[in-house]
Amino acid sequence: MTGPLLKVAGVHRRFGSGPAAVHALRDVSFEVAAGTMVALVGRSGSGKTTLLNVIGGLDRPDEGTVHVEGTEVTALDEDGLSRLRREKVSYVFQTFGLIPVLSAAENVGAPLRLARTPAAERERRVAMLLDLVGLADHAQQRPDELSGGQQQRVAIARALAASPRLLVADEPTGQLDAETGLSVMALLRGVVESEGVTALVSTHDAVMMALADRVIHISDGRLEG
Amino acid sequence: MTGRPFAVRRFFVVHRPSVRGRARADRGALLLTGAVVAVLTLLAGAVQPLIRDTAEAAVQDAVRHSEADVRAHASLARDDTEDGRARHPGLAEDVDEIRRRADLGLDDELRDVLREPIATATGPTLNVTDGSLLRTFRLTYLTGSPRVTWVAGGAPGPTVAGVAAIPYGAQWPVQTALSEPVATALNVRPGDKIRLQDENRNPKDVTVSGVFRPVDAADPAWRLMPELLRPVGGQGTFGSTRMAGLLSPDSLPDARLAFGQDEMGVTVSFAPEPSKLTWESARTIADIVVKLKATSGSSSQYEGVLKWETWLDIELRAVAARIDAAVAQASVLLIGVLLVGVLVLLLAADVLVRRRTPALVIARRRGAGLADLFAELVLESLAVGVLAAAVGLGAAFAVAGGISWEWALPVVLAAVFAGPAFGTLAAARATRNRRVPANRSARKRIRDTGRLRRFVLEAAVVLGAVGALVALRQRGVAPGDGDPTFAASGPAWGVLAGAVVLVRLLPIGTGLALRWALRSRRPLAVFGAARAADTAGRVLPVLVMVTAVGVASFAFTLDVTARQGLAEGARRTVGADARLDVSPVAEASTPELARAIAAEPGVRQVITAQITDSARVGTPGAVAAPRLVITDRPDLRELRDGAVPALVRGDLGGRLEVIREGLPPVPLVNVGTAPAIGDVEEVVIVDTQAAAAAGLVAVPNTIWVNGPGAAKAARAHATGAAAQVYATVLDERRAAPLTAGLLRLAWTAAGVLLAFGLLGLSLGAASGAPARWQTVSRLRTLGLRPRDGRWVAVGELLPPALLTAIGAPLLGVLFARLAFGPLALRQITWQAADPPPVLPWWPLLGVALVLVAAVAVVVRVEATARRGRRLGEVLRVGSLDG
Repeated sequence: MTGPLLKVAGVHRRFGSGPAAVHALRDVSFEVAAGTMVALVGRSGSGKTTLLNVIGGLDRPDEGTVHVEGTEVTALDEDGLSRLRREKVSYVFQTFGLIPVLSAAENVGAPLRLARTPAAERERRVAMLLDLVGLADHAQQRPDELSGGQQQRVAIARALAASPRLLVADEPTGQLDAETGLSVMALLRGVVESEGVTALVSTHDAVMMALADRVIHISDGRLEG
Repeated sequence: MTGRPFAVRRFFVVHRPSVRGRARADRGALLLTGAVVAVLTLLAGAVQPLIRDTAEAAVQDAVRHSEADVRAHASLARDDTEDGRARHPGLAEDVDEIRRRADLGLDDELRDVLREPIATATGPTLNVTDGSLLRTFRLTYLTGSPRVTWVAGGAPGPTVAGVAAIPYGAQWPVQTALSEPVATALNVRPGDKIRLQDENRNPKDVTVSGVFRPVDAADPAWRLMPELLRPVGGQGTFGSTRMAGLLSPDSLPDARLAFGQDEMGVTVSFAPEPSKLTWESARTIADIVVKLKATSGSSSQYEGVLKWETWLDIELRAVAARIDAAVAQASVLLIGVLLVGVLVLLLAADVLVRRRTPALVIARRRGAGLADLFAELVLESLAVGVLAAAVGLGAAFAVAGGISWEWALPVVLAAVFAGPAFGTLAAARATRNRRVPANRSARKRIRDTGRLRRFVLEAAVVLGAVGALVALRQRGVAPGDGDPTFAASGPAWGVLAGAVVLVRLLPIGTGLALRWALRSRRPLAVFGAARAADTAGRVLPVLVMVTAVGVASFAFTLDVTARQGLAEGARRTVGADARLDVSPVAEASTPELARAIAAEPGVRQVITAQITDSARVGTPGAVAAPRLVITDRPDLRELRDGAVPALVRGDLGGRLEVIREGLPPVPLVNVGTAPAIGDVEEVVIVDTQAAAAAGLVAVPNTIWVNGPGAAKAARAHATGAAAQVYATVLDERRAAPLTAGLLRLAWTAAGVLLAFGLLGLSLGAASGAPARWQTVSRLRTLGLRPRDGRWVAVGELLPPALLTAIGAPLLGVLFARLAFGPLALRQITWQAADPPPVLPWWPLLGVALVLVAAVAVVVRVEATARRGRRLGEVLRVGSLDG
């Protein structure tokens, strides 16, 4: 790999039209090298989530391009985006997004099912990931039997299941107390190193920034510094 | 805050802008609630008045067809002189006086529903002795003098003018007039004598004065003695044909002298006036008639005493029983519709409250009291409920000409209070200070308390259902045994209780499906099953769907069973696609007629038989009056020890004999069970040749015709015979007021219930849609393709739909089986026994397909509604699943 894993160039995103239009992103450009953990920092409403959505293909920019590992995300159709999410980009959300009736192991194995990974290989991978996030003993527990921190760990394991190149995490510690949040960020830091994945994590907590290789500040839809 | 709050008696404060804002935001849901209330109040308000009108029509229809006259019999004053009898020229006035006396003897309430009386003076039955088949003849005088035109001769004149004295036992000549068919049958003309003798073989001197044609054959007077207009065959004596001659006021005194002192009687007939009978008055009139009969004189009492006789009371009680049955059947359907309607209103309120909970919680946190919130919500739902009820009841009035309030009230109450109650509870729960305890056992106790509450509620529903069904089966739904509403609610309660059980089974089923899916290699199955398992605990939507479709299945089963029963009843009455009852004068030509019919196109089968109703058949220890059918049955041709083999229906014993007047009896031996022929209970079938060999010669008087051209052929050859066509009989019975009304109600109820079931599916889907599509969106972030997201949604919605499609019809049919006995369907199908429940395969299959199709439509609509929304937008809203 010669270039950056993620390349964002001249991205604009507006919501609404006319005088009431909200300019969520204004000419945002940056690059992220592979295997790094980048913290995207800004206040609420600064455009963090919009930027992450555009990068992950959950939203389309009005202008500009996004490339992930050489693939132009902004040019992909729905099937292409689905393939991108199955193979290259995964997400961790503030609200965990686990399926309540499935066990932790089954939740982690969900992306592998979508990728039609053989059962034996899936089970091996799930066991390894649960071990990685420290929940090997909780594999058969359901989300409502786990604490918030444990649920986010399961969500991280699920995001890593399909061996993505880019992990996008939107306020992954937003619903956790400070101590648990810090441990989750530490875990993300760890998996970046152990799995070789690139992570883009949004946060507005200064303590979390210390764990990142690089910090990008965003304010009013513009990158700072 | 822009609006000004106002206080109602200082108990609560209503913030009008909030009320307006919520109403504006949720106008779709409120309109839907209003539409449901309008439909329900229309049904609830209209059905009772419609039932009353239908019942009235049924009473009048039954009386119109029954010819159940009220009759008073009296004997004429004796005409003895010192050494013989005297001719009394004013006898017609005496008969008229008896008519007046009978009229005065009636209760006013009874007289009001009867027509003007007609008196008949009739002589004894005489035998026609012209050597042909056994025929009988009577001389009859009618008051009111129905108008005739004379084809030949003229009115009967007196034998002598004025008073005359004759010795006892002397033969006295009398003149009579005959109708054309009777004159033809007797082969006489004016001036001819009719060869007659009484039962003691004393000849009678009866001369034909003229041959007449009635000006109006429909004149009520002729109805009393149809044999005056044409020979009438059939009943009483084996093989006899009845005829009669008309007397005039001048010849009546001579007829009196022609017979013995007590042989001529007077009968005063009062025909009921159907239009004056009502449902309410029917039972009262029946009671008055019973009293009249109980207090009337007997035939052994002295002359002039009136002996009352009628089966009007029996007819009225029979139609009352039919009305009771139809009302019960209608009540069962109506209660089912109302129950489901109330459930739909609860579901609509639940969906509305789910949408509003955040706003209500905010209002609560800003200081609004629970009473204030409740008042605001009631204000809104009162406006919707009352307006919609007004529309529904207005429509009910327009349709039925009246309104029943009592049934509409529960609907309006549910519509007005369900939403506010749910909303206030939701706001109270969300803002109460109690937190989930950290202690595991305390959490378990809370969970157990919730489970116990639900169990108690479900047990109450099941016990209620058991109680209602027991009441239905043990006491029936006839009025007079207390309020029948509880018993009539049995099937609806039963379906609801069954739905409660099925709702309990749904999580188990979806859990098993999820396990299976987890072992499968189909990712979509896993996620669909996971969503289904996650939402299987939502009770109300499934309860609405299963109950609605269950009661609809009940209605379909009722409809199909009644239609099948009607068809079987009509088939049994006619006996084939068509039947010809050949008139006695034309009986000799029956074989020729049968051959002509067989040659008609579309006729597959023609069977002839001699049918004698109320034949005198001796059984061991008694004389029975079964229907005797003599037809070609080669399997019954061989005599057994001189006895004719017979198929027998009814408990008539093994050895029988046909009793004949003046001839030795014909022995029969019971060799098997006869099929039902017509609506009588007792039937005896023998072979024509076997009967002839035993001396019982038959002349066929009935022709059964089968085949697609049977009706046309039978009608084409109906000259000299009365044609009865299966399709016509069936149509007439279907069109009878009670039957037609009930079948219409069954279909309407089924349609409304299906609509409610689909509404339940749609509302349930709508309330779960945000969570469902959140999950689909989450799965799409894991790589799920957009089109596969629909399959996940289908996987979630399909299990309740399948449970409804399979379980609900089973419940409907099960409770139909349990309830049909007490509901007495035979009363509207004209059958002797209740028809067995018939499974409505096609409607049930249609319902299943509609439900599955509805799931597909709902998912497509939901997917289309979300097509324009970016994943990021969906995932930004709310926090779910985890």
